[in-house]
Amino acid sequence: MRRVGIVGAGITPCKSHWMERTYYGLSQMAVKACLEDAATSVKDVDAVVYGIYNDIFELAAIPEHPLHGIIGMTNKPGMRVTNGGATGAYAMLAAYTFIASGLYDTVLALGVERATDCFDFESMTETPEVIKTIGWSADTFFERELGWTASDSYAEVVLAYMDDHPGDLKPEVSARIAEILCQQAKNNAFAQRRDEVVTAEMAMSSRYVVYPFKLLEMCVYSEGAGAVLFASEDKAKAIARNAGLPVVWVTGLGASNEHHVAGPDYKTHKYMGRIWSDHIASHKAYEMAGVKDPLEEIQVVELHDAFIKQLQITMGEMGFVPIGKTDALIEEEIMTPGGKLLVNPSGGLTFGGHFVGGSNMFSCWSARRELIQRQLERGLVHGTGSTVAQYGVAMVLERSE
Amino acid sequence: MAETKRDVPRVIPEHFNPPVASEVVEVDGHPYLQTNEGMFTFYKRTKGEFSAYFLGLRDEAKIYGIKCPQCGTVRVPPFALMCPDCDFAQMESVEMPDRGVMNSTPPITYFAHSLFQSWVPFGRGRVVLDGADTALPIHVYTTQGVLTPFIFEKGTPVKVVFRDERQGKPTDIFAVPMAELAPEQQAKSPLLESDLDFSEPPEPVLGEATDEDRAAFARAVEMLKELSAGVDASPRARHNLAGWRRLIEVKTAAGGLVLKIDDGSLEVAEGRRTEPADFVMLCAEPQLLVDWMTFKEALTNAIITGRLWISINREFTTIFKLDRLPRSVHRDMQARG
Ligand SMILES: [Zn+2]
Repeated sequence: MRRVGIVGAGITPCKSHWMERTYYGLSQMAVKACLEDAATSVKDVDAVVYGIYNDIFELAAIPEHPLHGIIGMTNKPGMRVTNGGATGAYAMLAAYTFIASGLYDTVLALGVERATDCFDFESMTETPEVIKTIGWSADTFFERELGWTASDSYAEVVLAYMDDHPGDLKPEVSARIAEILCQQAKNNAFAQRRDEVVTAEMAMSSRYVVYPFKLLEMCVYSEGAGAVLFASEDKAKAIARNAGLPVVWVTGLGASNEHHVAGPDYKTHKYMGRIWSDHIASHKAYEMAGVKDPLEEIQVVELHDAFIKQLQITMGEMGFVPIGKTDALIEEEIMTPGGKLLVNPSGGLTFGGHFVGGSNMFSCWSARRELIQRQLERGLVHGTGSTVAQYGVAMVLERSE
Repeated sequence: MAETKRDVPRVIPEHFNPPVASEVVEVDGHPYLQTNEGMFTFYKRTKGEFSAYFLGLRDEAKIYGIKCPQCGTVRVPPFALMCPDCDFAQMESVEMPDRGVMNSTPPITYFAHSLFQSWVPFGRGRVVLDGADTALPIHVYTTQGVLTPFIFEKGTPVKVVFRDERQGKPTDIFAVPMAELAPEQQAKSPLLESDLDFSEPPEPVLGEATDEDRAAFARAVEMLKELSAGVDASPRARHNLAGWRRLIEVKTAAGGLVLKIDDGSLEVAEGRRTEPADFVMLCAEPQLLVDWMTFKEALTNAIITGRLWISINREFTTIFKLDRLPRSVHRDMQARG
């Protein structure tokens, strides 16, 4: 396999609703920002991979087809990836393999999503219709008709984890993490909730949306787009030299999709109290990157925090804290300000934003930014998705001057 | 020919269908055009290889699973024909018992989108039926008042109950805690919804009232009377209660009262009811009522945390309406200046 590096990234501001732009306009904005960052032209891009999660959000089947020409990719290859919440991460995995295989030299991964065009005319609000739209993602024979939703599905995993580890995920710990993410979002000009103030106390006393998830401890719905430019070794070095920025190499990549039906053994079915997809994906990525002890060797993590308690379990699965003792993230000051690890410096999907198909590009954009600005050595980007946290993707990034 | 009678249930209820309309919305001085739209497709969708399972639920009130003759794995529901762990060996249908244990603590939906509002609160759990290796997705309910997150947990023994009217859907069945059933109900197969009594659940015990409770109760009564007058003067609040009629007996450690919702109005009376109430609201601490009316706590949230109990599960919808009143009254008062 050939070496692959990231040489540019760009995102739009994350908004709860983009009245001023369609997903066409958002896509153009993100691609323009990404190519400006790389100081290169779209003429030098060989192929594109689109990350768009849900056709219903875009009110379109084949939603990527009208994007291809307007982002300057006419007559070049373009492929859409859709993998639930992990759509963006899987799209980047595809972009990576396009280059590692030797097929192309420069590949753009573009993630974009609408959400709040969906509107519930009964309550005259968007949220119920957004939840209903995501609801079509569940198994349509046995689960959708039971009222499956994304949040109750992740709650199911977290509740099962709490069955096995009743002492972990203490309310004050999740609340403190919410406060930290809120503070970190202040450092992200594109964050949706940049101006919001959420203290641990406010998070603690916010109402339950679905037990054990509280309103201020879960991700928002956003609209936006994000683009990341990947390149082969020679190309990456040339582009980076020209842009005056270091290459951020993708040194590890792993992915895993679990079974969707619950059973006692994770090897054949979904063991509900764990997120094995995150475990397998991250450990595969570590193996590829030669990472032995993630807490010692990784300085920044941008992980897909659909829900803060899930963030904690995912951090356990990825080996930063033991499973069953993820409260150590706060109690041992691992991710508190000045701690060993920078976790979701963008504010995460909770405070930064969550435009599903491109959320992982947003995370990648942030991890790369931190690696470059803070001169860190190694970062990790994570995506999760589908029912019961079935899908997991992890990508190790390394900066070199 | 398509059925056109108005009273036939529709695949998409007619009231979900918004009018054809468009409007201009201004952002930062620029006009943007938006239109009402829908993305809809109708299906005659086969249940294919799952037909025997759904017909078993509907016509026989039986649950079928599928068993691999090679590894012996029993999968319920029978979500695959062939065993992926044994090079796609053909599996065989097996009849399952109507009892088992919870695979894990189920999530409970209190705030559903439009398609599932009539079910709330409902638990979406997974039951490992006796002899099964996989867990069956199923609604879970309690016969003892409102559903809370603390009734079911991993390993809770449950019984599958069949609805009297069944359509060949996952909602034809639900599970209740075995411990809530009488021995003859536990033994009956199939146990039907009409075999259960949801109407008079045992009430949680109220403790002794403290002086604070008594003071809080007096304050709550006073505030409820203000709220009642506020509702009369608030179009928003009257709209919240429009078309709704309920007599609610409220019980606290420091005393009780009666709330009467009558198509846009809220009446408050101290003491006990004289006519039969539709349901009971029970909170040991009357302070909860004060907290609700001072925006410190939502009654719906108090149900989720166990601070408030109601005797009839589906009356959560009434609690949801009550929850809106203080804010509606407040907003209309502000609008009036
Ligand atoms: Zn087998």
